Amino acid sequence: MKRILASVTDGKGFDIGLVLLPLAFLFIMSGLPLVYNVVMSFQEVDMFSLGSFVRPFVGFKNYVDLFSQPETRPILLNTALFVSSSIAGQFLIGFGLALFFWMNFPGASWLRGLFLVSWVMPGLVVGAIWNWILSGDFGVLNFFLRETGVIEGNIFWRSDPNYSLWAVIIANIWLGTSFNMILLSVGLSGIPKDLYEAAELDGANALQRFFTITLPMMRSTIGAIIALGLIFTLQQFDLFAGITSGGPNNSSNVTQYWAWDLSFRQYDFAKGATISVIMIVFVMLASVVYVRSTRHEVRG
Amino acid sequence: MSDQLRNRVMLAVALLLAAIYLFPLYWMYITALKTGSSMFATPPKFLPSEPQWGIYAFVWESRNMGRYLWNSLVIALGAVSLIAVLGVGCAYVLARYRNVWVDIGLFLILMLQVLPASLMITPIFVGFSQFGLLDTPRFAVILAIAAKSMPFFVVLVRATFMSVPMELEEAALVDGNSRIGAFFNIVLPLARNGILVSAILIFMQAFGEFVYSKSMIQDIELQPASVGLNSFMGPNTNEWNNIMAYATIYVTPILAAFILLQRRIVSGLTSGALK
Repeated sequence: MKRILASVTDGKGFDIGLVLLPLAFLFIMSGLPLVYNVVMSFQEVDMFSLGSFVRPFVGFKNYVDLFSQPETRPILLNTALFVSSSIAGQFLIGFGLALFFWMNFPGASWLRGLFLVSWVMPGLVVGAIWNWILSGDFGVLNFFLRETGVIEGNIFWRSDPNYSLWAVIIANIWLGTSFNMILLSVGLSGIPKDLYEAAELDGANALQRFFTITLPMMRSTIGAIIALGLIFTLQQFDLFAGITSGGPNNSSNVTQYWAWDLSFRQYDFAKGATISVIMIVFVMLASVVYVRSTRHEVRG
Repeated sequence: MSDQLRNRVMLAVALLLAAIYLFPLYWMYITALKTGSSMFATPPKFLPSEPQWGIYAFVWESRNMGRYLWNSLVIALGAVSLIAVLGVGCAYVLARYRNVWVDIGLFLILMLQVLPASLMITPIFVGFSQFGLLDTPRFAVILAIAAKSMPFFVVLVRATFMSVPMELEEAALVDGNSRIGAFFNIVLPLARNGILVSAILIFMQAFGEFVYSKSMIQDIELQPASVGLNSFMGPNTNEWNNIMAYATIYVTPILAAFILLQRRIVSGLTSGALK
């Protein structure tokens, strides 16, 4: 006993204790729910069996039911569109801004950091602001588009099924651009300056330098950022709650909102769990890419 | 073109870009000050002719914002304390050693970092209700947020510990400190700033958390400000000036803290997420 105590205060036991306690917490609070999620997706869960641990097993019925629902396909397509356009928008605008702020001038780093306010704001507040900006008759975005001659009549971003998903995508691009930009800036500042000097002496123009030095040197950073973007856009929930609530008629619904909607609006916990399982598997695959691309940096 | 002129032009363009990017924030602040009718004017006014400063007090009273913000504060502080107590030690050990076990631990932690809250809430809600945790809903939300955000905190704080030279700790051990003594007297004070910045980041996230609170807290007395804002925004609302005033009161403290600590937050964030 005394030996164990001494080890905890002054030996290996100290380290093991420090690490095991949080890992145990994470196991109970994240690991067990993950397992429970899989279990529930094979069970029949309704309001009456919610409180009991013993529920009838139904095999793959939930999965079969899910994929025979008419709204499943459109929602999966919406998710793919939401993820790909959000990542493309965030990355391209973020890269452009990062390249601009990379050219040194006084105040560059402070101004660049200021962009990150979009990222620290509560997601629901961002949703509320964009909800108002995107409003049909009185929205300021429609006003700008009209003034610049891009559109003739007002676009009803939130209530027109053709635009409702784009309303959320626009807000999400705004939200994520700053984070992309900051991480890309870090990557850019890691490229040795003498590479560019050498290329300039050899007569390479700006465009050639970008494609032969900047892009290849940024490859692992870009891979990590795209993977992170995938992870973050699949986590995006608040903007849907704040702007369209998945409507009208599921036209802006995506899996991560749908899973919550099924569980907490329609009280179909089994279906909610089923979608969660499918999406979590998907997110985990994305995160393996992310972890692999940052591995040497994280190990230090 | 002289250097000075170039710098001025660049700065002007940068300011313009920042102004465009931050326009939504400006629009929030301006809309809050407009009257009910000028809010719906076409073309929209970009400077309110008669700013309604009284709106903040009105919204604060009528929406009971004091209670909402207090609940947000309780949840955020609870989550940050729990995460800091559990996460700092974990980050320290993961930074101090290099072996297979550390790699496995890091991998697990990075994997847990990516689980979307809106997908995890289904099993967490059902499990918590079975163990009676939903009787203390704010505590349940604190637990859920802690589990969600701790991996991120560990990754950030680990990067801080990596920059503390190990020789200092070894010297303290040679001088007769115990491991606990060296940890609290030498390592922790040296890593204090990094831990503080990471804790602030986690606090900001938890202060705006929505999914868990919305799903687990039914009692309106215990709901945080994010849920309050959500119930304020009905599907066909036209009280946009009041909603924007609510949003202003909610985010201004966060924005102020961010701008004050901007440099530290940005560098802390980038050192952990990516190098």
